[in-house]
Parts: sequence; structure tokens; C-alpha cells
Amino acid sequence: MIRAEHLVKRYGATLAVDDVSFAVERNQIVGFLGPNGAGKSTVLKMLSTWLPPTSGRAVVAGCDVARDPMGVRAALGYLPEHNALYDGMRVLDFLRFMARARGLSGALARTRLDWVIDACNLVPVQHKRVQECSKGFRQRIGLAASLVHDPEVILLDEPTHGLDPLQVVAFRDFLRSLSKDRAILFSSHILSEVAAICERVLIIQGGRLLTDTRVETLEARAKAEGQDLERVVLDIVRKGAQSTNRVEVAR
Amino acid sequence: MSAARSPATAVAEPTASAPRAAPTQRGASLRPSFLRGATLVAGRELGASFESGVAYVYTIAFALLANSIFMNEFFLAGQVEMAPWFDSMPLLLAVFLPAVTMRSWAEEKRQRTIELLLTLPIRPLQAVLGKLLAALGLFGVFALSSLPIVAMLMTLGDPDLGRLVGGYLGLGLLGLLFLSFGLFLSAVSADQITAFVSSALLAFLLVLTGDERVVAVLDGLAPGLAAGSFVYDHISVVPQYEAFARGVVSLSGILYFTGLSAAFLWLNVLLLERNRG
Repeated sequence: MIRAEHLVKRYGATLAVDDVSFAVERNQIVGFLGPNGAGKSTVLKMLSTWLPPTSGRAVVAGCDVARDPMGVRAALGYLPEHNALYDGMRVLDFLRFMARARGLSGALARTRLDWVIDACNLVPVQHKRVQECSKGFRQRIGLAASLVHDPEVILLDEPTHGLDPLQVVAFRDFLRSLSKDRAILFSSHILSEVAAICERVLIIQGGRLLTDTRVETLEARAKAEGQDLERVVLDIVRKGAQSTNRVEVAR
Repeated sequence: MSAARSPATAVAEPTASAPRAAPTQRGASLRPSFLRGATLVAGRELGASFESGVAYVYTIAFALLANSIFMNEFFLAGQVEMAPWFDSMPLLLAVFLPAVTMRSWAEEKRQRTIELLLTLPIRPLQAVLGKLLAALGLFGVFALSSLPIVAMLMTLGDPDLGRLVGGYLGLGLLGLLFLSFGLFLSAVSADQITAFVSSALLAFLLVLTGDERVVAVLDGLAPGLAAGSFVYDHISVVPQYEAFARGVVSLSGILYFTGLSAAFLWLNVLLLERNRG
């Protein structure tokens, strides 16, 4: 459902994403883990068609992001990094706008709107303006907007940002319930979040994909080394950073 | 709701029960038609202008200014015609229309909603046309504020209908051009103020180069080049617009306004497609 092949993104002299390849299949939730500035959002932006890759190829729901961006956008549910929303609109109007922009109308639009408002618990704020909503509600409005058309592929960039611990736990259950028949890629810099939701994790640092592995493999390694999971991931990131630095020096 | 058996696990409050499944009928792969996408963007944009009150403030200010300028001229000249109203339009629109377009793209960029909008299945061309339609809608409301004057002239005498229709057509084309480059400059600018100042500057340039005093000064600077006359004949909006206001509807005038507008709209689309992130 999501296939990235040797993706590269360069901003002038800065290499933001360096030869990243991975795949996410249907029924999978994959976590994209890495420190701030690692390149997670840039990869998601390329998959969402917002940024064109400098080189490499990405295919989402069978559509090439460069050749058929409209096909990608139609099949994709995307929650961008900063979760920017139209603040002046009322929540229900905003979601209605998003549904119509997805080509939904009539009974199907109403069904989908009812579902996302209920599932994302937006009933208390549906008639409020977006700007009047708390950070947690804003995050859920963004999530609802990305799910309103029942997409096959879902990209979520730091989806739990702004949610309180109870909301984070609920969000995990919600995301797991969505994974059936869909491919979900979500980014985070919090290991416990990724480990709790995903079966697979991609670890990125300095724009390079360091690991593409199952969470249980990492857990087994942690057990074997007598360390906690966090330490194992930190080791991977640290080694990745060192090798990146060596490459930079060599260049 | 199709699969509403188990209670929803709201994102806010975790429960022990399983989350409710999404309705099975998928809307994925759907996308709005070209016209629907453009009108959707236009509706959102126009709605935001009226919800925020900006549209009301602009309309009232425009109507007060335009109509009081006209009434002053009307009583001085004592002629039953719209000419004074149309004559005041280029300068007034050079201020008001940049104010309409300044927020279009600059605000989307500032709030980062541009990423949300352009990752929907809406083409940049649809988005640009949607913004243009919304701006034209507000401009239409401005123009409607002159209807009491038309009604008054019809009651008092027998104004030249040809000049009236030509005047409104010229006004529409002038507005289209100002809005088109206003949108483009809003897409280029980092903030609303820059967008407003650059659009107003370009509009004033196109209007003032149609003033005979400016033409004389420019011609005087380099008599051999006759730069003022060249700019007046080929670049300024004034001679084109004045022809319409006199009731002369020419193909060259229509092509001038629509051609330039199309060029700015095309540049706007190009900018949205290429200059991201």
C-alpha cells in the first residue's frame, strides 16, 4: 500500500532524506520513530505529495506520487505535522468541507461525518469554532478530517501531540481498530507510543533509515542484552548518528 | 451508520470496549469534479470573509466612498450619467481589491493550511480559480452597491444604456485583472502586508500611467523615447478601461484584460505546483 524506493530530499546543500526505502502493507500499522529533525515529516510530506522527492520513487495505494498525485491524494488520509486547521470555521462546517473536498455528498457524506464526529468524540465541540477548541480537540479534529473519507492509506505525523495521557491510550485503541484493511504509517519521537501500537518500526536519524524491524525483535534484543527497549533504540540512533557524521566528514 | 454495534472508543475517553468499526461503504478514491472543487474553495473563502466581518467592513467602506464621490460630482456637473462613478473606480479598486486578495494565499501559508488544502484531491488550478471566484464574488458585492445610483439615474432621466453596460463590463474586466495579480502577489508574499503593498503598488502603477500629467512627465524625461506615451498606449489600464466606460466594447480591450489576468493566474498555479514546503 505504501512503497518508498530510494527516496532522497535535498534542500540546497542540506540532505534532509537520504536514500530511504521501505514498504507498508495492508493491515499494518508501522511506526516512524526518530528524534526531532530526523526527517520523519519530510518523508511523510513526500508520500502525501506535498513535497516532490529530489530523487527516488514512492507509490501510495498503487499511485505514483510524482505521476499521479491526485490518485494518491484521493486514497490518502493525511494528518500533517502542525495540524493546521481553518480556525475561523465551525468544526462541523470544517469537516463537511473536508468531506466535500473528498468528493463525498448526500447520505454517504452524512454517514461518514456522523462516524468521525462520534469516533473522534467531537460531539461537544461540533458547533464551536475551531479556534475555540483546546489543543486535544484540535488534534482530534485534524484526525477526523484525515479519516472522513475512510482512506485506505493513513499517514499521521505526530498524531498524539497535544493529547493528554488518557487520550493517548484511547488513541492507540482507535488506531488499532482502524488498521483492519488499511495501511497506517505514523510518526513519533516517543518509543513507548510506537511500541504499544505497532508491530513494526522504522527508525530514522539524520535523514537515513537506520532500522526497519519488528518491535518484538527489538524487545528480544533488549532482553538478550539485559537492557530496556529505550536503551536499545538509543544505541541504534547513536550508532546511526556516528556513521552519518563519518559520512559527512568523508564528503 | 453501518457497523454501529459496539460502543465507540472515543479518542478522549478510553473504555474497555472495542472501538466501533468505520462504516463499511468507502469514500476513498472519490474526488470532486473540477467545478465542484473550485466552487468548494470559493465557498469556504467567501464564507471566511463574511464570518470574520472583513467583507462587511470592505463593502460598507467601498460603498460610502464610491457613492459619496459620485454624489459630489453629480451635483456639481448636474448630468444624469454614471461616468463620475466609473471614473473613480480605477483608483478606488487599486486600494480595495489588493485588500481583498492580500490574505488569500499569504494567510494560508502563515497558518500552514496550504499543506492541508493542496494535499486534498483538489488541483492547484481548482484552488486558484476557487480563490478568484471568491474574490470576484466580493467584488460583485462592491459593484452591487452602485445599484441605488443606477435606480436614481433611471428615475431622474434617461441615462445612456450602452455606456452603462460598457462601463460595468469594463469594471468587471478591470476587477478581474486587479484580483488576478493580487492573488499571484499574495502567493509570492510571505505575509498579508507585503501582499497588499505590492498589489496596490502595481495597481497604482497601471492606473497612474494613464494620467496625462504622469505621461507628460515621463515623456519629458526622455523626449526621444516617449516612454510615457508608450506605457500609456501599451501597458496602462486606463485607456482600455475608459473605452469601455464610453460604451466602446473592443476585442483588443477584452483580450488585454483577460490575457493579462490569465497570465497571472497561470503564474499563480505554477508557483503552487513548484514552490512547496
